[in-house]
Amino acid sequence: MTTTAAYGRLRTSRLTEPRSIAIYGIALGVLACWLALPPFTTRNFVWPVLLGLLAALGGVAAVSRGVGKVGWGAVAAGVLGAGLGVLALQSGTSNLNEVFSASIIASMLVFATPLTFGALGGMFSERSGVVNIALEGMMLMGAFFGIYGADKTDSWFLGILIAMLAGAVMALVHAFFAIHLRADQIVGGMAINFLALGLTGYLFFKLYHGGNIPSNIPRIPEVNIPWVEHQRFLGPAFGSLNLLIWVAIILVPVSYVVLFRTAIGLRIRACGEHPRAADTVGIDVYAVRYASVITSGVLAALGGAFLSVGFVGTFNENMTAGRGFIALAALIFGNWRPFGAFGAALLFGFSTALAFRLPNAYPWADSYATLFQTLPYVLTLVAIAGVIGRTVPPAADGRPYKKQ
Amino acid sequence: MEASTPILELRGITKRFPGVLANDHVDFDLRRNEVHALLGENGAGKSTLMNILYGLYSADEGEIRIGGKPVTFNSAKDAIDAGIGMVHQHFMLIPVMTVAENIVLAQEPTRAGVLLDYDAARERVRHLSETFRFAIDPDARVEEITVGQQQRVEILKALYRRADILILDEPTAVLTPPEATELFGILRTLVREGMSVIFISHKLNEVLEIADRITVVRRGKKIDTVPREGATEEGLARAMVGREVLLRVERPPATPGERLLEVEGLEVRDDRDLPAVRDVSFHVRAGEIVGIAGVDGNGQSELIEAITGLRRAHSGTVKVAGRVLVHASPREMLDAGVGHVPEDRQRRGLVLEFPIAENVALHDYNKEPDSKWGWLFPQRLVEHARKLIKEFDVRGGGPYTRAGALSGGNQQKLVVGREVDRDPKVLIAAQPTRGLDVGAIEYMHRRLVEERDEGRAILLVSLELEEVLALSDRILVIYEGQIVAEHASGASEEEIGLEMLGAKRQEAVA
Repeated sequence: MTTTAAYGRLRTSRLTEPRSIAIYGIALGVLACWLALPPFTTRNFVWPVLLGLLAALGGVAAVSRGVGKVGWGAVAAGVLGAGLGVLALQSGTSNLNEVFSASIIASMLVFATPLTFGALGGMFSERSGVVNIALEGMMLMGAFFGIYGADKTDSWFLGILIAMLAGAVMALVHAFFAIHLRADQIVGGMAINFLALGLTGYLFFKLYHGGNIPSNIPRIPEVNIPWVEHQRFLGPAFGSLNLLIWVAIILVPVSYVVLFRTAIGLRIRACGEHPRAADTVGIDVYAVRYASVITSGVLAALGGAFLSVGFVGTFNENMTAGRGFIALAALIFGNWRPFGAFGAALLFGFSTALAFRLPNAYPWADSYATLFQTLPYVLTLVAIAGVIGRTVPPAADGRPYKKQ
Repeated sequence: MEASTPILELRGITKRFPGVLANDHVDFDLRRNEVHALLGENGAGKSTLMNILYGLYSADEGEIRIGGKPVTFNSAKDAIDAGIGMVHQHFMLIPVMTVAENIVLAQEPTRAGVLLDYDAARERVRHLSETFRFAIDPDARVEEITVGQQQRVEILKALYRRADILILDEPTAVLTPPEATELFGILRTLVREGMSVIFISHKLNEVLEIADRITVVRRGKKIDTVPREGATEEGLARAMVGREVLLRVERPPATPGERLLEVEGLEVRDDRDLPAVRDVSFHVRAGEIVGIAGVDGNGQSELIEAITGLRRAHSGTVKVAGRVLVHASPREMLDAGVGHVPEDRQRRGLVLEFPIAENVALHDYNKEPDSKWGWLFPQRLVEHARKLIKEFDVRGGGPYTRAGALSGGNQQKLVVGREVDRDPKVLIAAQPTRGLDVGAIEYMHRRLVEERDEGRAILLVSLELEEVLALSDRILVIYEGQIVAEHASGASEEEIGLEMLGAKRQEAVA
């Protein structure tokens, strides 16, 4: 048993493991499709087909060596990649350029940012053992109070702080029900969502008469990177992004370090896996869970503030429109890990960006675009069904802990 | 009492729970370098007392003294700081984390104040592990190592926190006999190195083997503290239960009749679809008890589930009284005459939220006299329950009492009563005395022998080798899903113990 464990840790052999080969296969499948798109825009059908074939071969190799799920994933990626690539070849270059210009990366990042904040927030909460389906509500609070704060203080920075505070308060309510009252966390979380919807809706009407938000509210600035700004591909993609987008990207490795490389992270995970074990070595499980849920609220609210103060510059009733739930889906899809969740958020962000752009170039895609928006949910179902390696939640996620 | 101050004293500890006096002015003291056993039946208040000592409960009355000085513990942290370590009956380990992470949790070595210094953690664990010859890989995940190793990780946790008092709560409950022997060796080493040990148990033979002194508690009260010299199993059992107890069940030779249960080439897969039972064949005759000995997780559960219809066999046949039953449902198995006393009575044997009467009717609620044309007759259920309660001496409630309110022993009597009352040809008893105390074990063992003499074929599956030895007319040893040996009654404990660990198979390979 120990020998297999030691084998698993041998870094050198990992690059040639069947699992890795399957992952290369998936990457090749993606590339197969991408080659037919800008900036490469190959017009030769050989490339997508060749790469797709290679991807499928890698998948078959992995399957034959016992890595079934990821292997079949690579086969599917190869076939899909080649198919989509060939499909793209049928399309005119100008249409492709319209949809797949480098700015689609910026667009993807914009859509992925609230999801990233929400998913990272949810990760802290769930890793400590509290299911956080209330991300949606916390995000909505952040969206409203971000605008309200920025309006009243005439400072986007104070607006963000106020948004974070509002998220924290909402999280505190969720934490109190989930931790002290040991209420069902799903039911409690949904109640928080409706509470936030009602509260922000009421305040929106009360304070802004349902729409009269001043247009001169200070916005979170864009970060213009001097040199990159004028590059051909990097410029439209990364040259001018909102400050909070960068904050979200930086928070991904930061969250990873906090959760997996610090003593505090170890304790958070201990509370989410086996709270009694944590208790018996002297960890205050309640304190850890409160802190984690509140962190979660603060992060989710940042995602909301990005939507309102950062992206749109105004607030609408139910502005988050389910993004908190998609963030939760990204968290699950990413297997409760920071980089996984970020990857999922990017994927979901990309699908949203695509859904917005496709109808511009292809009028017939109008109705499909709406259907496209369901991609995150379909992918989440695929993830929890265990097609791409089963996702494993923290063992005590959602279980109230009762001190003896 | 000697002149030297005990390292630990509990004086007049009293703890009340709603409706229960869990500890009633209990005195207990621990001397330096001794193993002091705390012996008592389930519910006698042993665990409550130790949870008070470990800071998990607070006492209503009484005083704790460490090295002569009174202390108050408000949390486990206070107890840990005072040098107390506890190995809980259900391990307090996080399966997905490594051994080193589990050990340093809450007292992590760090770099720059916040970053977890995993290398330092690994080194300290390796050092501790080597000092005590534990042979534990600090990088192994807890879920990958054996139960015996997990227990050593728990002991390392206490050592890492510099405990000089170690509490072990029923430490052998999860171990095989050889592992238990190993544990006792470890405990002796620890005591030699300056540790003082409190050993909680309800097993008489163990206590007599390892303890220097033995304190017996019964119904929350301390009965006596005696040195090991001069203590006997009979005397301790009497103090524990409060009456004379027959420790060895009377078992006249069996008179086996026809084969009532026949298993042929049975293959069963576990939940992960891996083979759990491999090509198992055996039979049980009327009027005999066949015991299956084995370490937990070697296919016993899957075997029972396949025989009772709870799990589909992958291949092979089960014959009951000559009738072949293929892919039979639990209902068909019941109707074919298989009674089942499940290993987890609280989850599979009873619906704890239901009253006794409804629990009794779980099998035959759909037939007369319990019901007719889908209409249930509650009064008949109650009458039936009354009859069983009387016949099987279920104490602590009537037909309307919630099953969950009964003690473990009485719950088990209820389950056995319900199964036996249907007059089964084959009775499968899975860990029939798990978690029961001496008095209830005595009853259960006698009852199983009686049912054998009624002409039933009894298949006993138990993790307690002693129980298998005491009751079985024939013994089968299961290892990694295969029957690796068969013995007549009276086989040696050592030999079977080794076979349970796969020694026989290894020899065959070598």
